Amino acid sequence: MRTLAVIACVLITGFAQASDADKRRAKYNYQMHCQGCHAPDGAGAGDIPEMKGHVGYFLETQAGREYLVRVPGSATSALGDSDLADVLNWIITEFSGDSVGDNFEPYSRAEVGRLRQHPLNEVEQYRVELLDQLSALSQESTQ
Amino acid sequence: MNILDKLFEKQTRQLAQRSSRRGILKGLGSLLVGGAVVPLLPVARASGAEPVGRPVEEGDPLSCDYWRYCAVDGFLCSCCGGTANSCPPGTEMSPVTWIGTCHNPADGRNYVISYNDCCGKSSCGTCLCQRDEGDRPMYRADKTNDINWCLGTASAAYHCSTAIVVGVAFEDQ
Repeated sequence: MRTLAVIACVLITGFAQASDADKRRAKYNYQMHCQGCHAPDGAGAGDIPEMKGHVGYFLETQAGREYLVRVPGSATSALGDSDLADVLNWIITEFSGDSVGDNFEPYSRAEVGRLRQHPLNEVEQYRVELLDQLSALSQESTQ
Repeated sequence: MNILDKLFEKQTRQLAQRSSRRGILKGLGSLLVGGAVVPLLPVARASGAEPVGRPVEEGDPLSCDYWRYCAVDGFLCSCCGGTANSCPPGTEMSPVTWIGTCHNPADGRNYVISYNDCCGKSSCGTCLCQRDEGDRPMYRADKTNDINWCLGTASAAYHCSTAIVVGVAFEDQ
């Protein structure tokens, strides 16, 4: 029984630290591939969209969820599928604030790998249309 | 007598019959020693712990061979009335920048460096420094130092470059 307890302690400690290392890797990849434009806290600058406090709204529709992967900064980045999924999940966890619901389903490597095969071309126009849809959805839910 | 009192008394008497004071002390001792030993267990601690973020500083920030300038291509703000971390008076730091890593020989670690340009005045013209480590061609726009990074500022006039430590590079153990 005691042996089992010790093994459980070691496993729990190991998993907690692996998770911590994953978070640090995701933060580092954000710094190296995203922060230069999106700023350390996701605040953006000038024409660069602000993710802080807003990015979670995109997850309210399937098109919005896909947008976060298909936007060129994600889809064409030098990150592999697994690292990109981790960075997106880290961004949503760190920057969403109240804009993300409790039922957030993290991106998987397979989902990111599939979606990034279709990067967006006319990003700005697509984004405007997407935000209009999200806005309409929000108004419907408040009526 | 209250039913709770009876129950408590019964449990206490049962506990007293089953255990000894030495036994309790032994259990407490095991818990304390065991708890203290858990952090010493041979798990991958090196990869899990967050490294302390402050670099050991050696070298001259006025010199191009200062460790943080490994990917600079421009004039050093340290020579222009600013520092490696701040812009000279009368200029504005660009919020949009390119980010790379530099190796610090003083502590043997790699750090994430943000090369924010200072903008709003004509080129400083002092301490030109071009090292370009990790610089990538223009088609990798986020990793090239060959473009004017005065983006998001009131003026696009380039004056000088900073080299700000923003973190410790992640390395798989």
